[in-house]
Amino acid sequence: MLVVRPSTFVDLAGIERLLDETDARVTTLPKDRDKLSEKISESDDAFRSGAEGPSSFLFVLEDTDSNTVVGTSGIDASAGNGYPFFNYRLDEVVHASHHLNISSKVPVLFLSHELTGRTLLRSFSIDPQWRDTDGFELLSRARLMYMAADPDRFNQELIVEIQGIFDDKGVCPFWDAVGRKFFDLDFLTADYYCSVKTKTFMSELIPQHPVYVPLLPAEAAGNIARNHEAANRICQLLYREGFHKSKFIDPFDGGPVLKGQLNYTHTYSNIRFKKAKPSEVIGGMKYLISNQSTSDFRCVIGTLVDGIGDTIRLPLDISQALNIREGDQIAYSPL
Amino acid sequence: MYIRPVQRHDLDALTILAKNSGVGVTSLPDNKQKMQAKLEQALMSFEQSNAKEDRLYLFALVDEDTNDVAGICALEASIGHEDVWYNFHVGKSVHASRDIGVHKVTQTLYLSNDLTGSSEIATLFLMPDYRKDQNGQLLSRSRYLFLAEFPELFDEYIIAEMRGYSDEEGRSPFWDSLGRHFFQMEFSDADYLTGLGNKAFIAELMPKFPIYVPMLSDEAQSVIGRVHPHTEPALAMLKSEGFDFNGYVDIFDAGPSVSAKIKDIRAVKESHIQRVGLSERGPLPDLNDKHGLLLVSNRKFDDFRVTLVSRGAAGDDTLWLTQKQASTLNVTEGDTVRVVSLRPTENAS
Repeated sequence: MLVVRPSTFVDLAGIERLLDETDARVTTLPKDRDKLSEKISESDDAFRSGAEGPSSFLFVLEDTDSNTVVGTSGIDASAGNGYPFFNYRLDEVVHASHHLNISSKVPVLFLSHELTGRTLLRSFSIDPQWRDTDGFELLSRARLMYMAADPDRFNQELIVEIQGIFDDKGVCPFWDAVGRKFFDLDFLTADYYCSVKTKTFMSELIPQHPVYVPLLPAEAAGNIARNHEAANRICQLLYREGFHKSKFIDPFDGGPVLKGQLNYTHTYSNIRFKKAKPSEVIGGMKYLISNQSTSDFRCVIGTLVDGIGDTIRLPLDISQALNIREGDQIAYSPL
Repeated sequence: MYIRPVQRHDLDALTILAKNSGVGVTSLPDNKQKMQAKLEQALMSFEQSNAKEDRLYLFALVDEDTNDVAGICALEASIGHEDVWYNFHVGKSVHASRDIGVHKVTQTLYLSNDLTGSSEIATLFLMPDYRKDQNGQLLSRSRYLFLAEFPELFDEYIIAEMRGYSDEEGRSPFWDSLGRHFFQMEFSDADYLTGLGNKAFIAELMPKFPIYVPMLSDEAQSVIGRVHPHTEPALAMLKSEGFDFNGYVDIFDAGPSVSAKIKDIRAVKESHIQRVGLSERGPLPDLNDKHGLLLVSNRKFDDFRVTLVSRGAAGDDTLWLTQKQASTLNVTEGDTVRVVSLRPTENAS
């Protein structure tokens, strides 16, 4: 069975293996054991404390049959985690001269902190072998199930940074045209620093003045707000969930930032809460099902037969996977 | 050859000059109407009938044998008064992070009106046939004697905008990398419109935010602050008088702006007053003897004249002029004149 649960130190080796195997860039997860263990420790605090303020949650997708970690996903309750969260906002200025009969809209990138403090979905990575299973959806959507268990800790506005375009060698045209000129680093190195260093260097190095898009090379300009093809699948999922492209882009690779409203996401708006009755279930429909524990959260996919009563039958293996006893509250949302 | 203020009957001659000047000499519009307006402004300035800051002093280089106008030069009392004066200030942005060991200095262009109110060494154009016999030197440097005589009509600082780099087809790499994106026209068209005094469009179309230089094409970056090859002699002349790059460049072609304090200009500082004596025995100017020449002005305002005489004509307090020279300058024995060596002496070797 596939289960989404909080990461623990035991997962360290499993996550490392996963990061080696996935092609997707996961900025918030460094391939560095010490840094990774720091992330897990932060996440541990977040799951346990229940406190307000910046907290960084890291989930793993585990195949319980083989006890292997096959995916990761995360939430930053407050984007930037107390530091400014940087984006470029793609805006337009009109340069017009009535007299000369010239009018042109010039796209301009403005540095913005506007998304600071929004809730950020991040660190999504999945073992390629599991990409085409329900596990993909479970791993991503389980985060919204978690928010339903403790909605006050999260911002209504959700954002996701989608990786932009760069090639196998780590050459990123947008980076080369913008960031590189100020950071003096190649894309992969900058990206690495981003995951292991404090964010201060961002505020020190990022160009403060707006960037006129027509001054960028055509390839870099064309990549603005376009996602890497490895992210097509997650984009599709997020669009179905109710997310949409915003005016914001990643300041490093120019990838799009998707925005959504927690209440209106497909998963969240269809959630129901009922008391569970562990028992045999025959037939029914597929749901995401989670317990309501904030510190020992579990989310799986299973079949339920929903009725009008306050209690719902929960298959025994799922009850066990979710640590649910009779009378405990569960949340479920259609797959 | 001598310098005098322009006169009403010079209009046709000035229009021909403008036709010859080509792209890049923005203050000479190739348009008779606009040229007439400039001429009127100059005439009012010499009559002192317009406001001090609106004055444009236009001078003609005249061939006394034919009475032809061979060249033109100008002084603008105060720039950015009626129009808005734009430059890019070439500044720096430093991006540094101790944490990751990066310290990067980035040249940045800031749109500015900083030079507003300065005086300007403006238009200069010499007809090709007359580019010899120190005519260019006379035309250009004569203005310093006017500045030395009437500093109260000018600002403390004077600037000169140098024509920026463009290739043989009149293509400006700086324009192609920057201005074109906002103006949607060729450099020569933009240049023509500014020359016509149609400057409002600059404000309407200019990029208002600072421009990071590394975002421009390599070719564009390399011509920031660089003058057009034809302008190099003019730049050298200004430098020899004490002008220096002031950190501002033209918003169209990135040609440099140079400036000096008027009182510190070599020809202003070194010029002195002498009394006119008449003599037919004094040496005549040898126009091939670069360092043997003096600029002489008659110190008059609306009949300002400048010509070249031989260094040998200068006594202790007296400058010995022939009758012909005196009448060219419109002075007589006993009048005072202002004298300075045509070229800086430190270059004499």
